Amino acid sequence: MRESTSAPPQVPRPTLRVPGAAWHIEPVTTLEPLAAVLLFSGLAALTAVLGTVPQALGKAPPRTWIGWANALAGGLMLGVAYTLLTEGLSTGLIAGGVGALLGIGFVRGSHALAGTGELDVDELEFSGPGSGYQAVLVDALHAADEGVAIGVAMAVSLPLGIAMATTLAVHNIPEAMVLSTVLARKGLGLPRAALVSVAVNVNQVLLAVVSFGLLSLFPAVLPLIAGFAVGALMYRTLVELLPESYHQAGETSIAMVTLLAMGVVVLLSGVAR
Amino acid sequence: MSEVLLVFLYALSTAVATGLGAIPFLFVRELSERFAAYSAAVAGGLMLGASFGLVAEGIGYGRGETLAGALVGVFFILATQRFLGDRDGQDLVFEAATGEGAKKMLLIVIVMTAHSFAEGVAVGVSFGGGVTLGAVITIAIAIHNVPEGVAISAVLRPQGVSVPRCAAWSVFSSLPQPLMAVPAFLFVETFRAALPYGLGFAAGAMIFMVLVELLPEAYEHGDRAQVATLATASAVAMVLFQQWL
Repeated sequence: MRESTSAPPQVPRPTLRVPGAAWHIEPVTTLEPLAAVLLFSGLAALTAVLGTVPQALGKAPPRTWIGWANALAGGLMLGVAYTLLTEGLSTGLIAGGVGALLGIGFVRGSHALAGTGELDVDELEFSGPGSGYQAVLVDALHAADEGVAIGVAMAVSLPLGIAMATTLAVHNIPEAMVLSTVLARKGLGLPRAALVSVAVNVNQVLLAVVSFGLLSLFPAVLPLIAGFAVGALMYRTLVELLPESYHQAGETSIAMVTLLAMGVVVLLSGVAR
Repeated sequence: MSEVLLVFLYALSTAVATGLGAIPFLFVRELSERFAAYSAAVAGGLMLGASFGLVAEGIGYGRGETLAGALVGVFFILATQRFLGDRDGQDLVFEAATGEGAKKMLLIVIVMTAHSFAEGVAVGVSFGGGVTLGAVITIAIAIHNVPEGVAISAVLRPQGVSVPRCAAWSVFSSLPQPLMAVPAFLFVETFRAALPYGLGFAAGAMIFMVLVELLPEAYEHGDRAQVATLATASAVAMVLFQQWL
Protein backbone atom coordinates (compact mmCIF):
# COMPACT_ATOMS: atom_id res chain seq x y z
CA MET A 1 0.00 0.00 0.00
CA ARG A 2 1.48 3.28 -1.12
CA GLU A 3 0.30 5.20 1.94
CA SER A 4 2.16 2.97 4.32
CA THR A 5 5.56 3.24 2.65
CA SER A 6 5.39 6.99 2.12
CA ALA A 7 3.99 7.72 5.55
CA PRO A 8 7.03 7.88 7.87
CA PRO A 9 9.14 10.43 5.90
CA GLN A 10 6.29 12.97 5.76
CA VAL A 11 6.26 13.44 9.52
CA PRO A 12 7.41 16.99 10.18
CA ARG A 13 9.58 17.40 13.23
CA PRO A 14 8.61 19.98 15.84
CA THR A 15 9.47 23.32 14.25
CA LEU A 16 6.37 25.40 14.86
CA ARG A 17 6.57 25.28 18.62
CA VAL A 18 5.91 28.67 20.17
CA PRO A 19 7.18 28.90 23.75
CA GLY A 20 4.42 29.68 26.19
CA ALA A 21 1.56 28.86 23.83
CA ALA A 22 0.48 25.34 24.73
CA TRP A 23 -1.99 24.93 21.88
CA HIS A 24 0.79 25.30 19.31
CA ILE A 25 2.24 22.01 20.42
CA GLU A 26 -1.06 20.35 19.59
CA PRO A 27 -0.57 20.02 15.79
CA VAL A 28 2.89 18.58 16.28
CA THR A 29 1.83 15.94 18.80
CA THR A 30 -1.05 14.80 16.61
CA LEU A 31 0.98 14.45 13.43
CA GLU A 32 3.24 11.69 14.67
CA PRO A 33 0.32 9.46 15.67
CA LEU A 34 -1.23 10.31 12.28
CA ALA A 35 1.80 8.73 10.64
CA ALA A 36 1.32 5.71 12.88
CA VAL A 37 -2.35 5.54 11.84
CA LEU A 38 -1.28 5.56 8.17
CA LEU A 39 1.42 2.96 8.73
CA PHE A 40 -0.61 0.47 10.74
CA SER A 41 -3.87 0.81 8.83
CA GLY A 42 -1.86 0.48 5.60
CA LEU A 43 -0.19 -2.70 6.83
CA ALA A 44 -3.58 -4.04 7.95
CA ALA A 45 -4.98 -3.39 4.48
CA LEU A 46 -2.02 -5.20 2.88
CA THR A 47 -2.43 -8.44 4.83
CA ALA A 48 -5.52 -9.13 2.73
CA VAL A 49 -3.10 -10.53 0.13
CA LEU A 50 -2.57 -13.55 2.40
CA GLY A 51 -6.23 -14.43 1.95
CA THR A 52 -5.60 -15.29 -1.68
CA VAL A 53 -3.13 -18.05 -0.74
CA PRO A 54 -5.71 -20.87 -1.10
CA GLN A 55 -6.43 -19.62 -4.63
CA ALA A 56 -2.71 -19.38 -5.38
CA LEU A 57 -2.31 -23.00 -4.33
CA GLY A 58 -4.89 -23.81 -6.94
CA LYS A 59 -7.70 -25.00 -4.74
CA ALA A 60 -10.89 -23.36 -3.62
CA PRO A 61 -11.20 -23.59 0.16
CA PRO A 62 -13.78 -26.15 1.34
CA ARG A 63 -17.19 -24.89 2.40
CA THR A 64 -16.53 -25.47 6.11
CA TRP A 65 -13.33 -23.39 5.86
CA ILE A 66 -15.34 -20.51 4.41
CA GLY A 67 -17.71 -20.85 7.35
CA TRP A 68 -14.84 -20.81 9.85
CA ALA A 69 -13.19 -17.90 8.04
CA ASN A 70 -16.40 -15.91 8.38
CA ALA A 71 -16.75 -16.90 12.03
CA LEU A 72 -13.12 -15.87 12.66
CA ALA A 73 -13.69 -12.51 10.97
CA GLY A 74 -16.98 -12.09 12.85
CA GLY A 75 -15.52 -13.01 16.24
CA LEU A 76 -12.72 -10.50 15.76
CA MET A 77 -15.35 -7.85 14.96
CA LEU A 78 -17.32 -8.67 18.12
CA GLY A 79 -14.07 -8.43 20.08
CA VAL A 80 -13.40 -5.04 18.50
CA ALA A 81 -16.92 -3.97 19.47
CA TYR A 82 -16.20 -5.09 23.04
CA THR A 83 -12.98 -3.06 23.13
CA LEU A 84 -14.63 0.08 21.74
CA LEU A 85 -17.65 -0.29 24.03
CA THR A 86 -15.55 -0.61 27.17
CA GLU A 87 -12.83 1.93 26.23
CA GLY A 88 -14.53 4.55 24.07
CA LEU A 89 -18.00 5.30 25.43
CA SER A 90 -17.43 6.12 29.10
CA THR A 91 -17.31 9.89 28.51
CA GLY A 92 -20.70 10.06 26.80
CA LEU A 93 -23.19 7.24 27.12
CA ILE A 94 -26.07 8.92 25.28
CA ALA A 95 -23.78 10.05 22.45
CA GLY A 96 -22.48 6.47 22.27
CA GLY A 97 -26.02 5.11 22.02
CA VAL A 98 -26.93 7.63 19.33
CA GLY A 99 -23.72 6.75 17.48
CA ALA A 100 -24.56 3.03 17.62
CA LEU A 101 -28.02 3.66 16.16
CA LEU A 102 -26.42 5.80 13.43
CA GLY A 103 -23.97 2.98 12.70
CA ILE A 104 -26.78 0.44 12.37
CA GLY A 105 -28.73 2.91 10.20
CA PHE A 106 -25.67 3.57 8.03
CA VAL A 107 -25.15 -0.10 7.20
CA ARG A 108 -28.87 -0.78 6.70
CA GLY A 109 -29.14 2.29 4.48
CA SER A 110 -26.06 1.46 2.42
CA HIS A 111 -27.34 -2.08 1.95
CA ALA A 112 -30.69 -0.77 0.76
CA LEU A 113 -29.09 1.75 -1.62
CA ALA A 114 -26.55 -0.70 -3.01
CA GLY A 115 -29.07 -3.52 -3.33
CA THR A 116 -26.83 -5.77 -1.28
CA GLY A 117 -29.24 -6.35 1.59
CA GLU A 118 -30.04 -9.88 0.52
CA LEU A 119 -26.48 -10.74 -0.45
CA ASP A 120 -24.40 -13.28 1.40
CA VAL A 121 -20.75 -12.37 1.16
CA ASP A 122 -19.85 -15.95 1.83
CA GLU A 123 -22.43 -17.66 -0.39
CA LEU A 124 -20.33 -19.20 -3.14
CA GLU A 125 -23.17 -20.29 -5.41
CA PHE A 126 -24.01 -16.81 -6.67
CA SER A 127 -26.19 -16.87 -9.73
CA GLY A 128 -26.50 -13.22 -10.82
CA PRO A 129 -23.79 -11.76 -13.08
CA GLY A 130 -23.45 -8.73 -10.80
CA SER A 131 -22.69 -10.73 -7.65
CA GLY A 132 -18.92 -10.27 -8.03
CA TYR A 133 -19.31 -6.50 -8.01
CA GLN A 134 -21.71 -6.74 -5.09
CA ALA A 135 -19.22 -8.79 -3.05
CA VAL A 136 -16.56 -6.15 -3.75
CA LEU A 137 -18.99 -3.39 -2.77
CA VAL A 138 -19.95 -5.10 0.49
CA ASP A 139 -16.31 -5.56 1.50
CA ALA A 140 -15.43 -1.99 0.50
CA LEU A 141 -18.28 -0.63 2.66
CA HIS A 142 -17.23 -2.93 5.48
CA ALA A 143 -13.67 -1.60 5.33
CA ALA A 144 -15.02 1.93 5.89
CA ASP A 145 -16.27 1.36 9.43
CA GLU A 146 -13.25 -0.82 10.20
CA GLY A 147 -11.19 2.26 9.36
CA VAL A 148 -13.27 4.29 11.80
CA ALA A 149 -12.56 1.62 14.45
CA ILE A 150 -8.78 2.03 13.91
CA GLY A 151 -9.09 5.81 14.07
CA VAL A 152 -11.07 5.64 17.31
CA ALA A 153 -8.69 3.16 18.93
CA MET A 154 -5.68 5.27 17.92
CA ALA A 155 -7.39 8.31 19.45
CA VAL A 156 -7.88 6.43 22.73
CA SER A 157 -4.22 5.40 22.85
CA LEU A 158 -1.46 4.37 20.46
CA PRO A 159 -1.08 0.83 21.89
CA LEU A 160 -4.83 0.25 21.63
CA GLY A 161 -4.71 1.53 18.06
CA ILE A 162 -1.90 -0.87 17.17
CA ALA A 163 -3.85 -3.72 18.78
CA MET A 164 -6.90 -2.72 16.73
CA ALA A 165 -4.91 -2.55 13.49
CA THR A 166 -3.39 -5.96 14.24
CA THR A 167 -6.87 -7.38 14.85
CA LEU A 168 -8.13 -5.97 11.56
CA ALA A 169 -5.03 -7.20 9.76
CA VAL A 170 -5.94 -10.72 10.89
CA HIS A 171 -9.61 -10.08 10.10
CA ASN A 172 -8.78 -8.99 6.52
CA ILE A 173 -7.20 -12.39 5.72
CA PRO A 174 -10.34 -14.58 5.98
CA GLU A 175 -12.36 -11.74 4.44
CA ALA A 176 -10.04 -11.69 1.43
CA MET A 177 -10.12 -15.50 1.28
CA VAL A 178 -13.89 -15.41 0.87
CA LEU A 179 -13.81 -12.51 -1.60
CA SER A 180 -11.07 -13.99 -3.80
CA THR A 181 -12.97 -17.29 -3.88
CA VAL A 182 -16.07 -15.46 -5.08
CA LEU A 183 -14.05 -13.54 -7.67
CA ALA A 184 -12.32 -16.69 -8.91
CA ARG A 185 -15.77 -18.19 -9.52
CA LYS A 186 -16.43 -15.11 -11.66
CA GLY A 187 -13.34 -15.95 -13.74
CA LEU A 188 -11.03 -13.28 -12.37
CA GLY A 189 -7.31 -14.13 -12.48
CA LEU A 190 -5.27 -14.50 -9.31
CA PRO A 191 -3.24 -11.25 -9.56
CA ARG A 192 -6.37 -9.18 -10.14
CA ALA A 193 -8.26 -10.98 -7.38
CA ALA A 194 -5.38 -10.22 -5.00
CA LEU A 195 -5.34 -6.60 -6.15
CA VAL A 196 -9.08 -6.20 -5.62
CA SER A 197 -8.84 -7.87 -2.19
CA VAL A 198 -6.33 -5.24 -1.09
CA ALA A 199 -8.04 -2.39 -2.93
CA VAL A 200 -11.34 -2.84 -1.07
CA ASN A 201 -9.39 -1.99 2.11
CA VAL A 202 -8.22 1.43 0.87
CA ASN A 203 -11.32 2.81 2.62
CA GLN A 204 -9.93 1.39 5.83
CA VAL A 205 -6.78 3.53 5.58
CA LEU A 206 -8.71 6.59 4.42
CA LEU A 207 -11.30 6.50 7.19
CA ALA A 208 -8.72 5.62 9.83
CA VAL A 209 -6.89 8.83 8.96
CA VAL A 210 -10.03 10.94 8.59
CA SER A 211 -11.65 9.77 11.84
CA PHE A 212 -8.37 10.06 13.75
CA GLY A 213 -7.86 13.59 12.40
CA LEU A 214 -11.43 14.48 13.36
CA LEU A 215 -10.96 13.11 16.87
CA SER A 216 -7.68 15.00 17.29
CA LEU A 217 -9.49 18.24 16.49
CA PHE A 218 -12.70 17.45 18.39
CA PRO A 219 -11.94 14.91 21.17
CA ALA A 220 -15.47 15.40 22.54
CA VAL A 221 -17.04 13.44 19.68
CA LEU A 222 -15.15 10.25 20.66
CA PRO A 223 -18.19 8.45 22.19
CA LEU A 224 -20.34 9.31 19.16
CA ILE A 225 -17.75 8.03 16.66
CA ALA A 226 -16.91 4.98 18.79
CA GLY A 227 -20.62 4.19 19.11
CA PHE A 228 -20.99 4.51 15.34
CA ALA A 229 -18.17 2.01 14.76
CA VAL A 230 -19.64 -0.40 17.33
CA GLY A 231 -23.13 -0.25 15.81
CA ALA A 232 -21.88 -0.67 12.25
CA LEU A 233 -19.40 -3.47 13.02
CA MET A 234 -21.76 -5.49 15.23
CA TYR A 235 -24.65 -5.11 12.80
CA ARG A 236 -22.48 -6.20 9.86
CA THR A 237 -21.19 -9.20 11.78
CA LEU A 238 -24.71 -10.28 12.68
CA VAL A 239 -26.25 -9.63 9.27
CA GLU A 240 -23.44 -10.77 6.97
CA LEU A 241 -20.81 -12.95 8.61
CA LEU A 242 -22.56 -15.15 11.16
CA PRO A 243 -25.86 -16.17 9.51
CA GLU A 244 -24.39 -18.00 6.52
CA SER A 245 -21.44 -19.38 8.44
CA TYR A 246 -23.95 -21.43 10.46
CA HIS A 247 -25.00 -23.13 7.22
CA GLN A 248 -21.45 -23.75 6.08
CA ALA A 249 -20.18 -25.37 9.25
CA GLY A 250 -21.83 -26.76 12.38
CA GLU A 251 -23.24 -24.39 14.98
CA THR A 252 -20.85 -25.71 17.64
CA SER A 253 -17.69 -25.16 15.60
CA ILE A 254 -18.87 -21.73 14.45
CA ALA A 255 -19.62 -20.70 18.03
CA MET A 256 -16.21 -22.03 19.11
CA VAL A 257 -14.25 -20.21 16.39
CA THR A 258 -16.18 -16.97 16.99
CA LEU A 259 -15.58 -17.12 20.73
CA LEU A 260 -11.88 -17.93 20.36
CA ALA A 261 -11.50 -14.98 18.00
CA MET A 262 -13.16 -12.71 20.58
CA GLY A 263 -10.74 -14.07 23.18
CA VAL A 264 -7.78 -13.27 20.93
CA VAL A 265 -8.89 -9.63 20.75
CA VAL A 266 -9.16 -9.45 24.55
CA LEU A 267 -5.65 -10.95 24.79
CA LEU A 268 -4.27 -8.51 22.19
CA SER A 269 -5.66 -5.44 23.93
CA GLY A 270 -3.98 -6.78 27.10
CA VAL A 271 -0.61 -7.10 25.37
CA ALA A 272 -1.02 -3.49 24.20
CA ARG A 273 -1.07 -2.22 27.76
CA MET B 1 -26.34 -15.38 55.69
CA SER B 2 -29.16 -13.02 54.71
CA GLU B 3 -27.09 -12.20 51.64
CA VAL B 4 -27.32 -15.85 50.66
CA LEU B 5 -31.08 -15.64 51.03
CA LEU B 6 -31.11 -12.46 48.91
CA VAL B 7 -29.11 -14.17 46.16
CA PHE B 8 -31.46 -17.15 46.34
CA LEU B 9 -34.52 -14.88 46.07
CA TYR B 10 -33.04 -12.87 43.17
CA ALA B 11 -32.24 -16.06 41.31
CA LEU B 12 -35.65 -17.51 42.16
CA SER B 13 -37.29 -14.43 40.65
CA THR B 14 -35.43 -15.02 37.38
CA ALA B 15 -36.79 -18.56 37.45
CA VAL B 16 -40.35 -17.32 37.99
CA ALA B 17 -39.86 -14.82 35.13
CA THR B 18 -39.48 -17.80 32.79
CA GLY B 19 -43.10 -18.69 33.57
CA LEU B 20 -44.17 -15.31 32.14
CA GLY B 21 -43.21 -16.71 28.75
CA ALA B 22 -46.42 -18.74 28.79
CA ILE B 23 -48.64 -15.66 29.18
CA PRO B 24 -48.75 -14.67 25.48
CA PHE B 25 -50.38 -18.03 24.77
CA LEU B 26 -53.42 -16.87 26.74
CA PHE B 27 -54.02 -14.18 24.13
CA VAL B 28 -52.47 -15.62 20.98
CA ARG B 29 -53.58 -18.98 19.70
CA GLU B 30 -50.64 -19.34 17.35
CA LEU B 31 -47.63 -17.32 18.38
CA SER B 32 -45.63 -16.64 15.24
CA GLU B 33 -42.16 -18.11 14.87
CA ARG B 34 -41.00 -14.64 13.87
CA PHE B 35 -41.92 -13.21 17.26
CA ALA B 36 -40.04 -16.03 19.02
CA ALA B 37 -37.08 -15.39 16.71
CA TYR B 38 -36.98 -11.67 17.52
CA SER B 39 -37.30 -12.38 21.24
CA ALA B 40 -34.29 -14.67 20.92
CA ALA B 41 -32.41 -11.90 19.09
CA VAL B 42 -33.13 -9.41 21.89
CA ALA B 43 -32.21 -11.99 24.54
CA GLY B 44 -28.99 -12.80 22.66
CA GLY B 45 -28.06 -9.13 22.46
CA LEU B 46 -28.71 -8.54 26.17
CA MET B 47 -26.67 -11.61 27.14
CA LEU B 48 -23.82 -10.53 24.85
CA GLY B 49 -23.85 -7.06 26.41
CA ALA B 50 -23.99 -8.55 29.92
CA SER B 51 -21.07 -10.83 29.06
CA PHE B 52 -19.03 -7.83 27.89
CA GLY B 53 -19.61 -6.36 31.35
CA LEU B 54 -18.54 -9.62 33.01
CA VAL B 55 -15.35 -9.80 30.93
CA ALA B 56 -14.46 -6.16 31.63
CA GLU B 57 -15.04 -6.81 35.34
CA GLY B 58 -13.04 -10.06 35.30
CA ILE B 59 -10.10 -8.47 33.49
CA GLY B 60 -9.78 -6.07 36.40
CA TYR B 61 -8.81 -9.09 38.51
CA GLY B 62 -6.81 -10.96 35.88
CA ARG B 63 -6.95 -11.20 32.10
CA GLY B 64 -5.55 -14.70 31.65
CA GLU B 65 -7.73 -16.09 34.46
CA THR B 66 -10.86 -14.58 32.88
CA LEU B 67 -10.08 -16.11 29.50
CA ALA B 68 -9.27 -19.49 31.07
CA GLY B 69 -12.60 -19.36 32.91
CA ALA B 70 -14.37 -18.55 29.66
CA LEU B 71 -12.90 -21.69 28.06
CA VAL B 72 -14.16 -23.78 31.00
CA GLY B 73 -17.60 -22.20 30.55
CA VAL B 74 -17.63 -23.21 26.90
CA PHE B 75 -16.66 -26.79 27.71
CA PHE B 76 -19.29 -26.91 30.43
CA ILE B 77 -22.00 -26.13 27.86
CA LEU B 78 -20.41 -28.58 25.38
CA ALA B 79 -20.31 -31.37 27.98
CA THR B 80 -23.94 -30.71 28.88
CA GLN B 81 -24.93 -30.85 25.23
CA ARG B 82 -23.08 -34.15 24.78
CA PHE B 83 -24.77 -35.63 27.86
CA LEU B 84 -28.15 -34.69 26.36
CA GLY B 85 -27.22 -36.10 22.99
CA ASP B 86 -26.57 -39.55 24.47
CA ARG B 87 -30.13 -39.73 25.81
CA ASP B 88 -31.68 -38.42 22.63
CA GLY B 89 -32.68 -41.78 21.15
CA GLN B 90 -34.81 -43.26 23.94
CA ASP B 91 -38.51 -43.94 23.60
CA LEU B 92 -40.30 -41.67 26.01
CA VAL B 93 -43.67 -40.47 27.24
CA PHE B 94 -44.10 -36.81 28.14
CA GLU B 95 -47.34 -35.09 29.14
CA ALA B 96 -50.08 -36.44 26.87
CA ALA B 97 -47.79 -37.23 23.95
CA THR B 98 -45.59 -40.18 23.02
CA GLY B 99 -42.95 -40.79 20.35
CA GLU B 100 -41.65 -37.87 18.32
CA GLY B 101 -43.81 -35.23 20.02
CA ALA B 102 -42.75 -36.39 23.49
CA LYS B 103 -39.11 -36.50 22.43
CA LYS B 104 -39.27 -32.98 21.05
CA MET B 105 -40.88 -31.60 24.22
CA LEU B 106 -38.59 -33.47 26.61
CA LEU B 107 -35.55 -32.34 24.66
CA ILE B 108 -36.42 -28.65 24.92
CA VAL B 109 -37.19 -28.93 28.64
CA ILE B 110 -33.91 -30.79 29.31
CA VAL B 111 -31.86 -28.39 27.20
CA MET B 112 -33.37 -25.33 28.84
CA THR B 113 -33.04 -26.83 32.32
CA ALA B 114 -29.42 -27.82 31.72
CA HIS B 115 -28.40 -24.40 30.45
CA SER B 116 -29.99 -22.87 33.57
CA PHE B 117 -27.17 -24.40 35.62
CA ALA B 118 -24.72 -22.12 33.80
CA GLU B 119 -27.07 -19.19 34.25
CA GLY B 120 -27.40 -19.92 37.95
CA VAL B 121 -23.64 -19.87 38.24
CA ALA B 122 -23.68 -16.57 36.31
CA VAL B 123 -26.15 -15.07 38.80
CA GLY B 124 -24.21 -16.23 41.86
CA VAL B 125 -20.86 -15.18 40.43
CA SER B 126 -22.16 -11.80 39.31
CA PHE B 127 -23.28 -11.05 42.87
CA GLY B 128 -19.66 -11.75 43.81
CA GLY B 129 -18.67 -9.10 41.25
CA GLY B 130 -20.75 -6.43 42.94
CA VAL B 131 -24.40 -6.01 43.86
CA THR B 132 -25.04 -3.47 41.09
CA LEU B 133 -23.70 -5.76 38.39
CA GLY B 134 -25.52 -8.65 40.04
CA ALA B 135 -28.83 -6.81 39.90
CA VAL B 136 -28.22 -5.89 36.27
CA ILE B 137 -27.34 -9.46 35.34
CA THR B 138 -30.38 -10.70 37.27
CA ILE B 139 -32.62 -8.33 35.30
CA ALA B 140 -30.93 -9.38 32.05
CA ILE B 141 -31.36 -13.06 32.82
CA ALA B 142 -34.95 -12.52 33.98
CA ILE B 143 -35.71 -10.68 30.73
CA HIS B 144 -33.95 -13.29 28.67
CA ASN B 145 -35.80 -16.04 30.54
CA VAL B 146 -39.16 -14.74 29.28
CA PRO B 147 -38.56 -15.53 25.59
CA GLU B 148 -37.08 -18.86 26.71
CA GLY B 149 -40.38 -19.54 28.44
CA VAL B 150 -42.00 -18.55 25.16
CA ALA B 151 -39.76 -21.01 23.32
CA ILE B 152 -40.61 -23.84 25.72
CA SER B 153 -44.31 -23.03 25.58
CA ALA B 154 -44.18 -22.75 21.79
CA VAL B 155 -43.07 -26.38 21.65
CA LEU B 156 -45.36 -27.69 24.42
CA ARG B 157 -48.56 -25.77 23.58
CA PRO B 158 -49.12 -27.22 20.06
CA GLN B 159 -48.77 -30.72 21.60
CA GLY B 160 -51.88 -30.03 23.69
CA VAL B 161 -50.19 -29.01 26.96
CA SER B 162 -52.28 -26.43 28.85
CA VAL B 163 -51.03 -22.85 29.35
CA PRO B 164 -50.54 -23.22 33.15
CA ARG B 165 -48.53 -26.42 32.59
CA CYS B 166 -46.47 -24.61 29.94
CA ALA B 167 -45.72 -21.97 32.58
CA ALA B 168 -44.89 -24.65 35.15
CA TRP B 169 -42.43 -26.43 32.85
CA SER B 170 -40.89 -23.04 32.01
CA VAL B 171 -40.32 -22.26 35.70
CA PHE B 172 -39.05 -25.82 36.27
CA SER B 173 -36.46 -25.33 33.52
CA SER B 174 -35.05 -22.36 35.43
CA LEU B 175 -35.02 -23.89 38.94
CA PRO B 176 -31.30 -24.78 38.71
CA GLN B 177 -30.67 -21.02 38.74
CA PRO B 178 -31.43 -20.46 42.46
CA LEU B 179 -29.94 -23.87 43.33
CA MET B 180 -26.64 -23.10 41.61
CA ALA B 181 -26.59 -19.40 42.48
CA VAL B 182 -26.05 -19.96 46.22
CA PRO B 183 -23.00 -22.28 46.03
CA ALA B 184 -21.57 -20.11 43.23
CA PHE B 185 -22.08 -17.02 45.37
CA LEU B 186 -20.48 -18.73 48.40
CA PHE B 187 -17.61 -20.01 46.27
CA VAL B 188 -16.88 -16.51 44.98
CA GLU B 189 -17.05 -14.98 48.45
CA THR B 190 -14.76 -17.60 49.96
CA PHE B 191 -12.18 -17.67 47.19
CA ARG B 192 -11.66 -14.11 45.99
CA ALA B 193 -8.85 -15.29 43.71
CA ALA B 194 -11.28 -17.48 41.79
CA LEU B 195 -13.44 -14.50 40.87
CA PRO B 196 -11.95 -13.81 37.41
CA TYR B 197 -12.29 -17.52 36.58
CA GLY B 198 -15.92 -17.40 37.71
CA LEU B 199 -16.68 -14.20 35.78
CA GLY B 200 -14.96 -15.64 32.72
CA PHE B 201 -16.88 -18.90 33.15
CA ALA B 202 -20.19 -17.02 33.20
CA ALA B 203 -19.24 -14.86 30.19
CA GLY B 204 -17.91 -17.81 28.19
CA ALA B 205 -21.00 -19.90 28.92
CA MET B 206 -23.35 -17.02 28.11
CA ILE B 207 -21.64 -15.94 24.88
CA PHE B 208 -21.35 -19.56 23.74
CA MET B 209 -25.06 -20.06 24.37
CA VAL B 210 -25.89 -16.93 22.38
CA LEU B 211 -23.77 -18.19 19.48
CA VAL B 212 -24.80 -21.83 19.59
CA GLU B 213 -28.48 -21.55 20.55
CA LEU B 214 -30.13 -18.14 20.35
CA LEU B 215 -28.65 -16.64 17.18
CA PRO B 216 -29.09 -19.74 14.97
CA GLU B 217 -32.69 -19.97 16.25
CA ALA B 218 -33.30 -16.29 15.49
CA TYR B 219 -31.84 -16.54 11.97
CA GLU B 220 -33.88 -19.62 11.20
CA HIS B 221 -37.25 -17.96 11.66
CA GLY B 222 -36.55 -14.22 11.54
CA ASP B 223 -35.54 -11.65 8.96
CA ARG B 224 -31.77 -11.27 9.10
CA ALA B 225 -31.69 -7.46 9.11
CA GLN B 226 -34.23 -7.27 11.95
CA VAL B 227 -32.39 -9.93 13.98
CA ALA B 228 -29.09 -8.07 13.55
CA THR B 229 -30.68 -4.71 14.41
CA LEU B 230 -32.41 -6.01 17.54
CA ALA B 231 -29.39 -7.94 18.79
CA THR B 232 -26.94 -5.07 18.17
CA ALA B 233 -29.20 -2.44 19.73
CA SER B 234 -29.91 -4.63 22.79
CA ALA B 235 -26.22 -5.42 23.30
CA VAL B 236 -25.20 -1.75 23.11
CA ALA B 237 -28.13 -0.72 25.32
CA MET B 238 -27.12 -3.36 27.88
CA VAL B 239 -23.51 -2.13 28.03
CA LEU B 240 -24.60 1.50 28.28
CA PHE B 241 -27.11 0.59 31.00
CA GLN B 242 -24.36 -1.18 32.98
CA GLN B 243 -21.94 1.75 32.62
CA TRP B 244 -24.67 4.20 33.62
CA LEU B 245 -25.50 2.29 36.82
